[in-house]
Amino acid sequence: MRFLLPHLIDAAAERSPDQEAFRFNGTGVPYAALASQSNRLAGVLRTLGVAPGDRVGLYLPKGLEAAVAVYGILKAGAAYVPLDPKLPAARLHAVLNDCGLRHVVTTDALRSRLDGLAATTPLRHLVGPTDHAEAAVPSISWSDVEAAPDRGWSAAGLTGHDLAYIMYTSGSTGLPKGIVHTHASSLSYATLAADVYGLRADDRLSGFPPLHFDQSIFDYMSGPSVGATTVIISEGHMMMPASLSQLMADERLTVWYSVPYALVQLLLRGALDQRDLSSLRWVLFGGEVFPPKHLRALMLQWPQARFSNVYGPAEVNQCTFHHMDTPPADDAVLPIGPIWPNAEGLVLGPDEAVLPPGEAGELVVRTPTMMQGYWNRPALNDRAFYHRPRAGGRTDLFYRTGDLVRQDEAGTYWFLGRQDRQIKARGYRIELDEVEAALLAHAAVAEAAVYAVPGPNGGHQVQAALLLHPGPAPTPREILAHAAQNLPAFALPARLDIIDQFPRTSTGKIDRRALRARAVTTT
Amino acid sequence: MTVAERIATYIANELLGDPTTTVAADENLLLSGRLDSIGVISLVAFIESDLGVTVPPEDVIIDHFISIEAMVAYLAQREDAAPHA
Repeated sequence: MRFLLPHLIDAAAERSPDQEAFRFNGTGVPYAALASQSNRLAGVLRTLGVAPGDRVGLYLPKGLEAAVAVYGILKAGAAYVPLDPKLPAARLHAVLNDCGLRHVVTTDALRSRLDGLAATTPLRHLVGPTDHAEAAVPSISWSDVEAAPDRGWSAAGLTGHDLAYIMYTSGSTGLPKGIVHTHASSLSYATLAADVYGLRADDRLSGFPPLHFDQSIFDYMSGPSVGATTVIISEGHMMMPASLSQLMADERLTVWYSVPYALVQLLLRGALDQRDLSSLRWVLFGGEVFPPKHLRALMLQWPQARFSNVYGPAEVNQCTFHHMDTPPADDAVLPIGPIWPNAEGLVLGPDEAVLPPGEAGELVVRTPTMMQGYWNRPALNDRAFYHRPRAGGRTDLFYRTGDLVRQDEAGTYWFLGRQDRQIKARGYRIELDEVEAALLAHAAVAEAAVYAVPGPNGGHQVQAALLLHPGPAPTPREILAHAAQNLPAFALPARLDIIDQFPRTSTGKIDRRALRARAVTTT
Repeated sequence: MTVAERIATYIANELLGDPTTTVAADENLLLSGRLDSIGVISLVAFIESDLGVTVPPEDVIIDHFISIEAMVAYLAQREDAAPHA
């Protein structure tokens, strides 16, 4: 039976106990050991008071412990909340409070940042670091977890409707919002993706995205659903394309899934001519647009591999894909493909009218892989879904993607842009309004305009122009450092200009379009 | 300034934007989160222009860039290998 995510690893452990579930820096954890270690962690968490329905934070670098922690938390009946170790303290603080994290799995190196937040958050206990008397929050070490008894695991009292994870992403108001997925929605995605991409037990998946990035569900859940091996890629390898390509060759990876940015880095700096990557059979990319000339070069570099453009917001995990038949021309625009199985897509116009093919509108999607909603955000949840009336007073719930698309006569969708001011940079969502709010938080800033310009290797780059109050003027660097207290690094403007006056529209508003056009012509 | 000091100063001033911070020669820059992929690219460009060494992509690997110490060792090895004029 499989109705909860841990059933995936326990079933694989029964079928092939010695097969490695995850590998990291040359070391692997077999499915049997993963099943047993996650039982131990679940037992420890229960002893510490974690109950079904609770949330447990994951504040860890990439590694085998993180994989054990994901399944241990799920077996305890709690939802895991992955926290980016690079989050600024203010943002970490906001997330801890927003979803009421009392327990966090972390490391010795990272615990000090959590200890500092103990007084103003519900944080009660850490798992992973060595305990010491002066610490603000008590902890139980990872070796104690490993030495804890394995009392097996029971799914009693848990159902597929229980929460599996909450993934935080930028919110336009400045407060990050938590995307809530259940066991049912993530299991539905994990197994569907495994079917669509024909995953097999002998596949070796690239664990490129960190756990706080939605693409990780494919590596951490779809892989185990077929008993495959996921090779978790370290932070160092993520930054060093030539090391990464060596690892890909040594580990004989077969299936890759990441943002295009990572693949462009591999192409440009990965010394690919010197690597045997003939084991790669499928390359999936998504999260932003892949610059066609780089995609073309990569497809010519790896002719044996199939390439697919994958689309879907974290709220539904994925909902379309487009298989590339041939390398694209330099000026090609790639479609995002038809809606995938077990999903229905509609294009909505103003007033929620369903538009026919050929017309541009907002893509809305109905699928069992859809999130339950945003954590504790009733107003946001009211706006996030479209309710289609059905007979008997029922309604169908569609997630409103906010993405503008057009469907052609063949049923293929084409991505046209956003309805709001959200952009993607290296696959991360950035709300330009949130960046403006963070810049305006500096006392010297009178007005701020933030806009996106095309980045050097595709994707977007955030830039900003500011008008200061009269008086002592801070440097752009000081203003950025101030904003960095609240914004993740990927959202910080790459360029910040202090100007004397803004271009204005006829109604006196800042003309962001003119600023952007000026930035594009001068860079 | 030694090569190590120049690299440390560049990381503090340009990549971290904080001249008051210190970067220890043996700090694991890839794990500490003080370098990111864009930082690595900038750092390689700095080393190439400041020290006049060409760093080919296949040399930009973890072993050579994990810490300032490792970078210095790599650059010394490059110097030894270079033909003397």
